[in-house]
Amino acid sequence: METIINIIISGLISGSLYAAMALGLTIVYGVSRVFNFGHGVIAIIGAYITWFMLDVAGIGFVPSVLISMGLMFLFGVGMYQFAINPLLKKPNWEFSTVLFMLGAGILFENVILQIFGPRVKSIPLFVEGSLKLGFVQINWHELILIGIVVVSVILLSLFFKYTRMGQAMRAVAQSITGARVVGIDINKIFSYTFGLAFVVTGLSGILLSTKYFLNPHIGWEWMIKGFVITTFGGLGSTSGTIYAAIILGVVEALATLYFGAIWVWPIWFAMFMIVLLIRPQGIAGGRL
Amino acid sequence: MLEVQNIDSFYGELQVLRQVSLHVDAGEVVALFGPNGHGKSTLLKAISGLHPPVSGSVKFNGEELSKLPTHKIVERGLVYIPEERNLFPDMTVMENLKMGAYNMRARKTIKSNLEFVFHVFPKLEIRQNQYCSTLSGGEGRMVAIGRGLMSEISLLLVDEPSIGLSPGIRKAVFEAIAKINLERDITILIVEQEIKNALALSRRFYLLKNGQIAFERKADELNVAEIEIAYF
Repeated sequence: METIINIIISGLISGSLYAAMALGLTIVYGVSRVFNFGHGVIAIIGAYITWFMLDVAGIGFVPSVLISMGLMFLFGVGMYQFAINPLLKKPNWEFSTVLFMLGAGILFENVILQIFGPRVKSIPLFVEGSLKLGFVQINWHELILIGIVVVSVILLSLFFKYTRMGQAMRAVAQSITGARVVGIDINKIFSYTFGLAFVVTGLSGILLSTKYFLNPHIGWEWMIKGFVITTFGGLGSTSGTIYAAIILGVVEALATLYFGAIWVWPIWFAMFMIVLLIRPQGIAGGRL
Repeated sequence: MLEVQNIDSFYGELQVLRQVSLHVDAGEVVALFGPNGHGKSTLLKAISGLHPPVSGSVKFNGEELSKLPTHKIVERGLVYIPEERNLFPDMTVMENLKMGAYNMRARKTIKSNLEFVFHVFPKLEIRQNQYCSTLSGGEGRMVAIGRGLMSEISLLLVDEPSIGLSPGIRKAVFEAIAKINLERDITILIVEQEIKNALALSRRFYLLKNGQIAFERKADELNVAEIEIAYF
């Protein structure tokens, strides 16, 4: 019993990190209908910028993360303006944007490899020790990670609900023509959406590399997890993404306990395919 | 107020509008009739910037619109209500209406416009907290028109507002359109298949056939038969 509870807690921790990873994908897809096949590499770019600020520039953790998020926003806006926007104006953009982002991901992966080398990096734990509540034991570090994810999700949902820009993003996600006829500048919204999604994705990369590790190739593995989670939860549905990430995080922890780590992916993908067959719109459906 | 001159519009290789010209004066209700698939919606989309014309001119209060994107056209007080409604399904009626006041000018008059929308469509006040995905066809149509009114407009382009509605709701929609014109002095260009109802509202009408204006008449030179012949 004690083991199971501790395992479920560890599942919740990785689940919340996966949720952060998948949210960026959901936001971009939900608003612009572009499926970002370079998503994982975008996440590690955020992490490498932070690592550089911490380890090479030697500034503190919080300023490093903030600078990294600022740069990721500009990166997202630039990516939209110079690459995605021209592609969206041409026929077959659904396909060309996927291939373009896949290519961009491979390119960036190799640029990172050239700059930072193949060796594993880690963004150090910011606190030591753990919290003990009876038989339940959680690292402070992991509690802080969950805290960051929860606060980010709350801030995001307040942003979508109450700000003019956030409401416009939801409007575009729900009906592009509707958004145009009420006078929303679609291009501007797409552009800020890419900026926002790159910020969230970069942050998830930072959080994941504090718990696991960072190398130029790890992004692809995170991205596959992100794909499974977003599809499982319902493409473009933020709440569905969060439920799916938590469910799959707990499944991962239980599968590791009972069958061993090599069974995690087969079980994930079996569940994923069953959900696709029964409910192609995902467990939650709905829109941003 | 609105001056459309010699516009041509294409979908790919297919020419949908040929040298279409029409005008709408301030305060008027003008109806646009014509068989399905002959370019009525395309004309409204050309005016509102959703599908800009390839050539020709669209002037609104003397200003050229044909090179402006839709959001700039809405800011100038011209709004298009598509036949498909295009509501935001996962937002409530109230949230949809408030999205109509997205442009900066409309944000200042959000309260009085909301009161007017509820005055014209009392049903929407009752339904204000309901999600739009749960509305009936008629209620959805009312939200679409109401959302357009929230944009602080002087010209309303409305595309087949009565299509697919029961006779009772159809009557309510036409009464609402008359009120919008009379009480708010909003100029209206309406595309309709319900010829008799639309003629009761409008002072003038155009008939669009094969992408061209076939003729223009005043409503008091009424001749429904003439219109009906043109449909075949």
